[in-house]
Amino acid sequence: MNRDYLGEFEELILLTVAFMDGAAYGAAIHQDIRQRTGRSVQLSAVHIALYRLEEKKLVTSEIGGATAQRGGRRKRFFTITHEGRHILSEIRQVREQLWQLIPKMI
Amino acid sequence: MAHEHKPQPPLWAQRLLHFRLSEGLSEEIQGDLDELFDLWVEEMGIQKARWKYIGQVLGFLRPLPERKEQYVQIRNGKLPPAQIDVSSNSLQTFKVMLQNYIKIAWRNLLRNRTSSAVNIIGLAVGMATCLLLVLFVLSELSYDRYHTNSKQMYRMTMHGQMGGKEINTAFVSALAGIVLAKEYSGVEAVTRLRTEGSFIIKSGNESFKEEHVAFVDSNFFQFFTIPLVKGNIRTALTEPNALVISETIAHKYFGNEDPIGKSLTLGRMGLFKISGVCKDVPTNTHFHYDFFGSFLSINPGNKWLNSGAYTYLKIEEGYPIDKLRTQSAKMVEKYIGPEIKEFVGIDLKEFIKTGNRIGFNFQPVTDIHLHSDLEGELEANGNISYVYIFSVIAGFILLLASINFMNLSTAGSSARAREVGVRKVLGSVQRQLIGQFLTESVLLVFLSLGVALGLVLLLLPGFNQLSGKQFGILTLASGWMLPGIILSALCLGLIAGSYPALFLSSFAPIQVLKGKLQTGLKTGGLRNVLVTIQFVVSVCMIIGTIVVYQQLHFIQSKKIGFDKEQVLVINDTYVLKSGINSFKNEIEKLASVERVSLAGYLPAGSSSWGVEGIKIENHASQSEVFRSKAYWIDEDYLPTLGIQLAQGRNFSKDFPSDSAGALINETAAHIYGLKNPIGTRISTVGDRSNTYTIVGVVKDFHFESMHQQITPMVIFYGGDNGQIAIRLKTSNIPDLLSQIEERWKKYSDNPFSYSFLDDRFNAIYSSEQRIGKLFGIFAGLAIFIACLGLYGLAWFVAEQRTKEIGIRKVLGATVSSIVVLLSRDFIKLVIIAMLIATPIAWYGMHQWLQDFAYHIDLQWWIFVVAGLLAISIALFTVSFQSIKAALTNPVKSLRND
Repeated sequence: MNRDYLGEFEELILLTVAFMDGAAYGAAIHQDIRQRTGRSVQLSAVHIALYRLEEKKLVTSEIGGATAQRGGRRKRFFTITHEGRHILSEIRQVREQLWQLIPKMI
Repeated sequence: MAHEHKPQPPLWAQRLLHFRLSEGLSEEIQGDLDELFDLWVEEMGIQKARWKYIGQVLGFLRPLPERKEQYVQIRNGKLPPAQIDVSSNSLQTFKVMLQNYIKIAWRNLLRNRTSSAVNIIGLAVGMATCLLLVLFVLSELSYDRYHTNSKQMYRMTMHGQMGGKEINTAFVSALAGIVLAKEYSGVEAVTRLRTEGSFIIKSGNESFKEEHVAFVDSNFFQFFTIPLVKGNIRTALTEPNALVISETIAHKYFGNEDPIGKSLTLGRMGLFKISGVCKDVPTNTHFHYDFFGSFLSINPGNKWLNSGAYTYLKIEEGYPIDKLRTQSAKMVEKYIGPEIKEFVGIDLKEFIKTGNRIGFNFQPVTDIHLHSDLEGELEANGNISYVYIFSVIAGFILLLASINFMNLSTAGSSARAREVGVRKVLGSVQRQLIGQFLTESVLLVFLSLGVALGLVLLLLPGFNQLSGKQFGILTLASGWMLPGIILSALCLGLIAGSYPALFLSSFAPIQVLKGKLQTGLKTGGLRNVLVTIQFVVSVCMIIGTIVVYQQLHFIQSKKIGFDKEQVLVINDTYVLKSGINSFKNEIEKLASVERVSLAGYLPAGSSSWGVEGIKIENHASQSEVFRSKAYWIDEDYLPTLGIQLAQGRNFSKDFPSDSAGALINETAAHIYGLKNPIGTRISTVGDRSNTYTIVGVVKDFHFESMHQQITPMVIFYGGDNGQIAIRLKTSNIPDLLSQIEERWKKYSDNPFSYSFLDDRFNAIYSSEQRIGKLFGIFAGLAIFIACLGLYGLAWFVAEQRTKEIGIRKVLGATVSSIVVLLSRDFIKLVIIAMLIATPIAWYGMHQWLQDFAYHIDLQWWIFVVAGLLAISIALFTVSFQSIKAALTNPVKSLRND
């Protein structure tokens, strides 16, 4: 699983997409990250990350229906792919292993 | 939910974002950002939300990954690669390509400085000229169109024939307006205007001579859309001796004081009370008055045949004006018939049977400025044919400039051929190359447009003087002008660039890169045609200029039947009242004065004359009425003006009976059918009928412009205190003027104003002089542009044939033979152009000359001179380049091989 390297921010986004389960789109992710981490990120950063993830085939996207809320503009919903889940769990495994190797200092 | 209260992010930021993002991304990202914005507004208030929004938009200015649905789908295996549509990806590509095109175009421009300069200057001059002419034409066409319901407004005119003379007057009987308003159903409103000449207007101790005084009905300002700044538009002119003045005049007489309620003395008409101030009459109106007295203050006459007023009417919407035309015949029957019986002694039927006619017509007010040329027009009107001529000239000059552009581009194509070849080898398709060349030409056109606008601003004051208009920078920027200019420039760029673009982009790359292309020969045909067209236009304009100047010279130097040199005219001498005779005597005593005459009527300029119907007594044509010009003179008139007698004698104090005497001109004697006019008794018709005996016949003299034939004229004895004419015998005019003014001041505190008869005479032809000047300028411009093109072409040809010239020189050709070689082709074209231009110009100028009753004949030498001029200018232009090429050391041009 060396094919794709995931940055920290990308990982964060991918996780958010994963838990939102089909309801993930730019603004929602942006808002969630802010609330959860207190980080104020650029919306452009969110979008760029999403597109990169899509290029890496870790997420797929679908244009949703029109809503009255945002001037009738449609949303692009992102869902995590099988590879996406796979890479997340791989990362998680690596981390778990590493955590267990740390002497119980913390 | 009240949408209008919903806070909005800054519009410019929204636009920036939209502009930045490609089609595929725009919707989702804008949607996301809008949604977040709403959240932020609730969280932190609108101001902070806005700032945040801007910050987020700026974040999107960084490079974004190309997110293409199709690529993703292809990678995901949903679409086969063959279905990739390259062109739909073009927005981003297009921007890059455009940048590249502009860069290449700019480099090319700098590389070929000479041809670029020739191109830009030529186009700029053409566009500037065209712009100025368009301004002129638009302003001419805009006359009287600003009135509300201007399409329903008409002026009543009178047409007929009396005693063999056509009558076409712009005014009708003052009674006609009243009848129209009362008895005709389709007429919504009628207003009348009458002029009483110029006035000396006094305010306190100051007095000025004012030319623009009119008397109008009380609904005048409502009828024409001229707003009142002060005073009531309905009631301002309902009283006698009420006066409305223009803003300019209010300022002139009263400064910043409120003029309402103040009084002005209008010369012989007495005191007028100011009841209103109107906006200045717009330039594009067929009249320009500054003083509007109430119609009730004057007596316009109470008979149909001897009263007059300019009568305007507004008809109901959709009412056919032709119906009114037919009905107006009844007006003649009902009102004019009885008066004819009264004055002429015959009834209307008989009157018509003897070849007389009388009737009314209605002309649209919007047509007055360009289409009307009747007797007694309020102002010298424009002429629709000049509008046509100028439009055509504008088009031609632009055409010339565009032709240059195309010529130079195709001529320069050999230099670009290699570039095209390489581009094609590297994968450019023809469409892209067309795009590139079009971009180049549009860029060039816009550069020229910039220069042209600069030129226009520079030339505007001079042009205003020449055209008698008042254009400002604002005229250019107003309304549809600017978008129109930019759009036309774009079109011009695309059209002028289309030929070079198609031509250049069609090169076959292999041939081009092998160096086999012979552009010079291939495009020679079209280029030759274009150059020929340019010179056809130029030669036509040169011929036009020569003919106009010839005709002007002819009419100004033609024997006019009196001596217009050395005659000083003192205007408005009626203000001297009874002092006029002693004033005259005093002036007569001055050493440098030869003769003085009290003269109401003087040829050219404002004068008082009347029109009388003349009947000849004891003559075969007894019932016939001859319409003749009539005025009053004293015994000094003929010698002062140098008018010769053909028969009989001048008026004289020695013959008391002369008060019932009359002089006629030769034309009158001829038209009246009098073999021995001396002693014949004639009488005037009308309510002040008098009988006179002819004592002399004066030789014909031109008392009107050369446009008109000399008409019959009757002169009565009695003097007229309107003006004084003085024949001088001195060259020290300033001295004499101060002497006269000194004496004038003894009699009157009115302003002393004078003019010279020859100046007044020349002023009649100011319109022709203007046309002559304009023609000259445009001919110069046309030649200039054509020569610029020729220069550029010669330059290219010389460049292309450098090696040929080198070899010829090595083999022994002389410089002169090479110059001939290079110039020959161009001169051939100019000669062909001459042959085509001559008949066209002959026809056009022949038509123009028909406008003059007295005109020159078109002589062959005019065409020869124009042709030689064109050839020598062309030769000069071309030889400049050919000599340079011929003098080049062949070593230089051949060294490279």
